[in-house]
Amino acid sequence: MNWLVKQIRKEEWSPYVAGILLGIVGILTVVLAHALLGASGGFENLAAYIGKAINPSNTYFNYIMPAGITYPVVLLVGIFFGGMLGALSSGTFKFRTMDSEQWKAAYGKQTWKRWLLLFVGGIIVEFAAGIAGGCTSGLAISGGMLLAPAAFLFIGGMFASGIVTALIVYGKKY
Amino acid sequence: MTYVIALVLGVFFGFALNKAGLTKYHKIVNQFRLTDFAVLKFMMTALVVTALGVYPLRALGIITFPAIPETYIVGNLVGGLIFGVGMALAGFCPGTAMAGAGEGKWDYLVPGLLGFLTGAVIFGLTYTSFMPQLKAIANYGSVVLPDLWHINPYLAVFVFALMALVLFYLIDRMGMHRKEKKD
Repeated sequence: MNWLVKQIRKEEWSPYVAGILLGIVGILTVVLAHALLGASGGFENLAAYIGKAINPSNTYFNYIMPAGITYPVVLLVGIFFGGMLGALSSGTFKFRTMDSEQWKAAYGKQTWKRWLLLFVGGIIVEFAAGIAGGCTSGLAISGGMLLAPAAFLFIGGMFASGIVTALIVYGKKY
Repeated sequence: MTYVIALVLGVFFGFALNKAGLTKYHKIVNQFRLTDFAVLKFMMTALVVTALGVYPLRALGIITFPAIPETYIVGNLVGGLIFGVGMALAGFCPGTAMAGAGEGKWDYLVPGLLGFLTGAVIFGLTYTSFMPQLKAIANYGSVVLPDLWHINPYLAVFVFALMALVLFYLIDRMGMHRKEKKD
């Protein structure tokens, strides 16, 4: 029992162990909820409120991803509290506005730069998730665990451009 | 009831992301720098474990596969290519940002979430101008590989698990890792 508590309190687990946990959650999601995991879909349901205010007759937010507190939105809330629980269990919960030394080395130590880049990065990934049919959670993990080809096409594309982007950002320090 | 299940599943998902360390900028970007393979190990382990569970359950008739993501080759690939740029730049994706926000990260909660919402609004408002055409190219529908290629599902899962193990072996034992450069 002490051993278990000690493990739970660790800040980081082996990615294999955390992956096994996620895999079990994946099975339970299909069995209990007859649904998949996801994150970008929830943001679309929330964005639908804004989208419909801008263009009330819009097809996408009326028929394909309508506004509402849907299953993916509740999942998002769960993910938020899961992250909180993880941080609390290891005593690493802390309010902060900036990231690690590595971020500062790559982009500089100004907070506004980080906030701007996260905003722009957020737009890019969510728009891209729309095109691909899901994000790392809803497509790569959820599709991949069912062995859907869509997931592996997405993962391939993501790694290819991610590596090139990191090469450009880091230059000689890559 | 579905909401309670969704909430609990979400909590475990966020917890796993936190413990895998993926709520940190360096974990994500260093995967793309090939100096830390936590992202790939975490993802592949989860895929194998779930596949090992859901395929036998489907064969036994206990479950059917829900909402299989649609395969439309060009769109899946192009979406992935654009996604990787944003993910490597910012060091997060929608799921890890949400879990990170729960850890007290205002930068994930405020500009991150505003970015996702903005991206989703732009996508939704422009959807009809290009997505139906894009989705029509090389569209195989909601399909999984064993069904598409008519191979025994158990064999497919076995081969997939074996590929993952080989990948882990290459990463951990054969030096697929790049060494972090010292300043």
